[in-house]
Amino acid sequence: MSKTLMRFTGVGGQGVLLAGEIFAAAKIKTGGHGLKTATYTSQVRGGPTVVDIQLDDKEIYYPYANDGEIGFMLSVAQKSYILFKDGVQLGGTIVIDPNLVYPTDEDRKKWKIFEIPIITIAKEEVGNVITQSVVALAIANTMTNALDKDVLIETMLSKVPVKVHDVNKKAYELGEKYAKEAMSK
Amino acid sequence: MATREVISTGNELAALAAVDAGCMFFGGYPLTPSSEIMHEISDLLPKKGGVAIQMEDEIGGICAVIGAAMVGQRALTATSGPGMSLKAEQLGLAQMAEVPLVCVNVMRGGPSTGLPTRVSQGDILQAKNPSHGDYKSITLCAGSLAECYTEVVRAFNLADRFMQPVIVLLDETIGHMHGKADIPTAEDVEAGIVPRKRFDGPAQEYFPYGVEHDEPAVLNPMYEGYRYHFTGLHHDKKGYPTEEIETCRKLIQRLEDKVAFHEDEVESFEEFMMEDAEVMIIAYGSVSLAAKEAIRHLRADGIKAGLFRPITIWPSPAKKIKEHTDKIEKVLVVELNIAQYHGEIQRAAARLDIDGLFKVNGRPISPHEIVSKVKEL
Repeated sequence: MSKTLMRFTGVGGQGVLLAGEIFAAAKIKTGGHGLKTATYTSQVRGGPTVVDIQLDDKEIYYPYANDGEIGFMLSVAQKSYILFKDGVQLGGTIVIDPNLVYPTDEDRKKWKIFEIPIITIAKEEVGNVITQSVVALAIANTMTNALDKDVLIETMLSKVPVKVHDVNKKAYELGEKYAKEAMSK
Repeated sequence: MATREVISTGNELAALAAVDAGCMFFGGYPLTPSSEIMHEISDLLPKKGGVAIQMEDEIGGICAVIGAAMVGQRALTATSGPGMSLKAEQLGLAQMAEVPLVCVNVMRGGPSTGLPTRVSQGDILQAKNPSHGDYKSITLCAGSLAECYTEVVRAFNLADRFMQPVIVLLDETIGHMHGKADIPTAEDVEAGIVPRKRFDGPAQEYFPYGVEHDEPAVLNPMYEGYRYHFTGLHHDKKGYPTEEIETCRKLIQRLEDKVAFHEDEVESFEEFMMEDAEVMIIAYGSVSLAAKEAIRHLRADGIKAGLFRPITIWPSPAKKIKEHTDKIEKVLVVELNIAQYHGEIQRAAARLDIDGLFKVNGRPISPHEIVSKVKEL
């Protein structure tokens, strides 16, 4: 694995930023380069947000993922999905929350689209909606195989309070389970 | 110099740099996309016995900073374009009265409220002359995460050396990007601090503004027994207002010459793959990152492109620019504004055929856009 380009999109306040920070920090821990760059609007809560994550063994200069080169995108909001989907390369992977994002038939021909109810999993199975970013993190890593799982989980736990370690571990395991199930279908 | 690896954002690194450089006071008002500097320093300063205060607005922020600087502290304010417009008058006062302070401007789209969360480099010319009148601005521009740290440190040292405000330009992209930076250790930064000059002779012989034609004022901290007058009016060697013709001329000429005669102490730039370059790209701030990426692609296609990146924006590295532009025919200035630095490059190069690639829609310039433009030259 030399270079991975990922894009997380949602709306402000959903916590998509944190997943990007965790990915970048974990990659740096393994001796590589990781960069997270977020773009948001002046409507911080509810405005479309996009986070580009670049993981590379070489030094990264340009901090944004080039449109057309992104191999993996995860989206939990329709308006962000529409705005940013075209950055994904043809045949690339897109994970959507089917309760919030509605791809067209044409989209399904262009990209490998997986439907995973990320928010529902976080809210009902993990029991805490805030863990959606960790569910997303697990899905992204399982599908891209970008980083060693243990390093990623260790980095993630270093960024959340100790009292929520168990719930976040559970969120990661569930995300991984759903991703594997989706891929095997 | 020893370094340490940190994972952070440009804004947070700017705050850390200030604290490591001995800054003990922050006065400001949060403004996107600079707010994280204030958030971070509000956390860091009290732990070191310093003070961070949110004032009623951006003007209050810099006024408080001037006060802190006048009692001898290193002091910081941070804002974005609209805040710079508000701070302009006080930046002028600090130039006139020779008050050392650091002002970080994380650039966003303008004019006016513009595009608050979007990247821009529209404040380049504002940084040269934020206030009316004659003075010589010192403006530094960070082109990497590490430089968000090192340039703020350098700004504090230059402010004390030249006794004037120093502006550090970040932009939204560099302020918010999150990744790895190798920065100097806090011990090395502390060891590099040169305290500002002070006068230790008898109080009656103290003339803070009675210095050589190319030297900055020597302002002792107030309330330490050395009395002098502090004003934005033209003033004499003791600081008292005057209209005496020669005193007025000398004062303003000195504000220019104290920097102009010592530009070598301020100058800073990076040359990236310039040794054999047949195309010279000039870019600064976050745009230089896109330019470096573009040069990788261009070189792979057999085009010998290189980057010249001014780090000290004002005064510009004009002589070095001319050295290159005398030899290289194809020169392209890439910036997130409409030709603001392009004009300075034309002046430095004494050429009117310098090409430009400009963007003002709040979006970054991509490496691919630079590659296409270079191929058109």
